Amino acid sequence: MIRTLDRLIPALSRGVTLAAVMVLIAMLPWISGRDPALSILRARMGDQDATPEALAAIRDKLGLAAGPVQHMRDWITGLLQGDWGTSWISGAPVLAGTLKALLVSLTLMSAAFGVAVVAAILLAWPTMRRGLRGRDTHSAGAVAAILTAMPEFTLSALFLVVFSVWLAWFPPYGWGSAGHIVLPALALGLPGGGLLGRLLTNAIAATFHERWIATWAVAGFTRGQIARAVLRRSLPALMPQIGMIVVAMTGGAIAVEQVFSIPGLGRAVLGAASAQDLPALQAGILILLVNALAIGVTVNLIRVGLLGRALQMRALPVPQIASPPPSGRLWLVPVVVLILLAALVMAGLPRDAYSSQFIRLQPPGLALPLGADGLGRDVLARIAHGAVSTIGMAAFVTLISLVVGLGIGLMPRIAIGLIEVTKATPPTIAALIVVAAMGPSALGAVIAVSAVAWAPLAAHTAALVSEARAQPHVRIAPILGVGPLRLIPRSILPAVFGPVLRHAMLRLPGNALALAGLGFLGLGARPPAPEWGLILADALPYVERAPLSVLTPVAALALMSVLGVSLASLSRCHFSISLHIWKKYMKNPDNIAFNFNVLSRVCKRFGS
Amino acid sequence: MTLLSVRDLSLSYPLPRRSWRRSAPVRALHGLSFEMGEGERVGLVGMSGSGKSSLLRCLLAMEPAATGQVLLRGRPVAAGSVAALRWYRRAVQYVPQDPIASLEPRMTVAQSVAEPLLRLRVDCDPMRRAEEALESVGLDHRFLRRRPDELSGGQAQRVAIARAIATRPSLLLTDEPVSGLDMTSRVQVVEVLRHLSEVHGTAILMVSHDISVVAGLCRRAMVMDGGRIVEDRPVAAMLRDPHHPHTSELLNAAPPMTAAA
Ligand SMILES: Nc1ncnc2c1ncn2[C@@H]1O[C@H](COP(=O)(O)OP(=O)(O)OP(=O)(O)O)[C@@H](O)[C@H]1O
Ligand SMILES: [Mg+2]
Repeated sequence: MIRTLDRLIPALSRGVTLAAVMVLIAMLPWISGRDPALSILRARMGDQDATPEALAAIRDKLGLAAGPVQHMRDWITGLLQGDWGTSWISGAPVLAGTLKALLVSLTLMSAAFGVAVVAAILLAWPTMRRGLRGRDTHSAGAVAAILTAMPEFTLSALFLVVFSVWLAWFPPYGWGSAGHIVLPALALGLPGGGLLGRLLTNAIAATFHERWIATWAVAGFTRGQIARAVLRRSLPALMPQIGMIVVAMTGGAIAVEQVFSIPGLGRAVLGAASAQDLPALQAGILILLVNALAIGVTVNLIRVGLLGRALQMRALPVPQIASPPPSGRLWLVPVVVLILLAALVMAGLPRDAYSSQFIRLQPPGLALPLGADGLGRDVLARIAHGAVSTIGMAAFVTLISLVVGLGIGLMPRIAIGLIEVTKATPPTIAALIVVAAMGPSALGAVIAVSAVAWAPLAAHTAALVSEARAQPHVRIAPILGVGPLRLIPRSILPAVFGPVLRHAMLRLPGNALALAGLGFLGLGARPPAPEWGLILADALPYVERAPLSVLTPVAALALMSVLGVSLASLSRCHFSISLHIWKKYMKNPDNIAFNFNVLSRVCKRFGS
Repeated sequence: MTLLSVRDLSLSYPLPRRSWRRSAPVRALHGLSFEMGEGERVGLVGMSGSGKSSLLRCLLAMEPAATGQVLLRGRPVAAGSVAALRWYRRAVQYVPQDPIASLEPRMTVAQSVAEPLLRLRVDCDPMRRAEEALESVGLDHRFLRRRPDELSGGQAQRVAIARAIATRPSLLLTDEPVSGLDMTSRVQVVEVLRHLSEVHGTAILMVSHDISVVAGLCRRAMVMDGGRIVEDRPVAAMLRDPHHPHTSELLNAAPPMTAAA
């Protein structure tokens, strides 16, 4: 009985989380504390006075008079019957418009996914060829990864400047012709493609190190057959990451649609958020979430299908994805980036970031190294001040997500639904919910990014906790009278804290980029705050007259992403391999034979 | 006088669900019964997978039994919360197989040995009692501040024994206490266990798949096979004339030199 209940906990957790999300979305009009009747009156009947009678009439018509619980019930039954409410602004039913926009977004995302797959294949091709020819395989190069790890909105702005403004190869805005889809698909697909390519390369390299490859080659299988088998073996391990990449695309699409003025779901939702048109916003958020969850489930099904029954039986070891080789130069990248960022801040911080003391869009000069923005403000000063505030907010987000992630990761079975749903929620969608509830603000952006940034940390914590609980000195604890609560400070937290703290620190640049992304979309810091995303958004309208004003924040954001990627790859090599193996096995003289094995394998893998 | 009685004990492990069908649970213990007297030393031998560790887990109240009862001096024991089992933990302690891994790496030897005294609310001065326990396993005060990674395997096993006897239990359960040690440490640890049992009258139930180690410490041995006790006799008689086929197999596997003890 207790065991049956125990097994049901994960399923219950998932169900409760989904129900809670539904209730949250349904209750948005009430959480926002804004009188919907007033918004509607303003939007539709601008000339009419907000008399109590007029407001009451509108409330009656919307069925709002019955109170929040009744309205929630109506909204949910409406969903099931295909009536998703009517827009507060236009008065039209929201479902039709939302679906039309969804179609545009899905087209864009399919094209972007195609770009990602092509990019991944191009990146992994050399490794596959070397492996098939029987040569030693290498992991993917870091350069490609760094180049493609830029956030979508930054890449969009960059492409807009280079390919539409300077080269004039593609139209800058709009939707409809084949030319319109190229730049958005590239901007949306390349970051994911870069990551996918790197993961695929590493997985293929790991597979080529397995014994059966040699056996097959000797047995006379053709290269085509081996290649197919290698892919079939490598892909399942990648499926979870592919899922995360596609889910991230649903968030990235919102920014890309905004930059290129594409009438997709993302842009519709942003419009609804800024107009506080809550029915349209609710429908959009719901569809975005369903979309992300559907991707997660589909990817999992494909994974099970690829591995077949072997995975269910836990009989097949999934190949471990090797980390890229550590090299001396890898240290150089983050150090150089940090120095550049520090120099930028030192140079710009003493300057005035707020007053419009220059000519609008004044080109760079000696007194004004990076020129002036559209309002005549000093760009260098704004970038430097923005660095301080963005990094400060990102540090705050990191701290919150560390605490929440540790706390929730300590009870993974109860929280599994929450962790999964949160991992499938891009920060942009979280921000839309926050903005619907409390309007756009820097604090709201911090809340939104914190609300999703804890999930990977919680998943990491949960993995480490189950590892720690399997340790003999933890399993014996009940016999010594150590209860489950005392176990946490005694053994669990000390084992978990260090690695999770490092993981959280590594995510700081990513959090900064997420905050900037929200600022860019108008879901975060408000003008005139010198926030990087906001600076980029302010500059975009002048992209044709002053491309440099766009490129400066793009460069700053690119520096930040380089910092994030290089720190991450650096730590993976350093901490997990050398320290771990060294500490664990070198202590005990019995392990010397084993050490030789491990070391020679490590050395071979890293080609030293 | 009877210290521990086990009646009709069975245990099954649920298997993780495969796909949509449920699979039958694994039965590890099939209704076994036996008794142990105060101060008695009993060896438990058997092939791998015969259920020795499962039996110990039941006796340690770490696993809820499907049927049957465990009674300590007539008082029933059942898996439950840490607080509800304190009385039992004070009386029944455990020495694990892998001593270094079973000591919390962040705690000093003194802290590790004193921990059960504090957690089980034993009425004594924990530090004094810990030092005494360490002395009685032959470790002097220089070891107090060491951590597990600064101990040899044999020293760590003696620390684990000190931790187990610190509460002055009436029964020590131990799972393969010497199988990870070299020959000299084995002899030392077995000697320590025998000495403790003789001086304090502590009963010992020792699991081993090496019957020669059992013969070195215990007068009585039980043989397990497939979750049942298939033979329960004095070791000497068993060595001379094994009844059950598995017992003979175990005897043949044991190195002959220690079989004389
Ligand atoms: N946690 C578990 N879940 C499922 N089955 C288990 C579990 N632990 C043990 N078993 C099964 O129960 C049976 C008895 O296992 P047990 O560990 O008690 O054997 P043992 O006699 O201690 O073996 P060894 O000498 O190898 O330690 C085995 O068939 C084993 O596969
Ligand atoms: Mg065992």
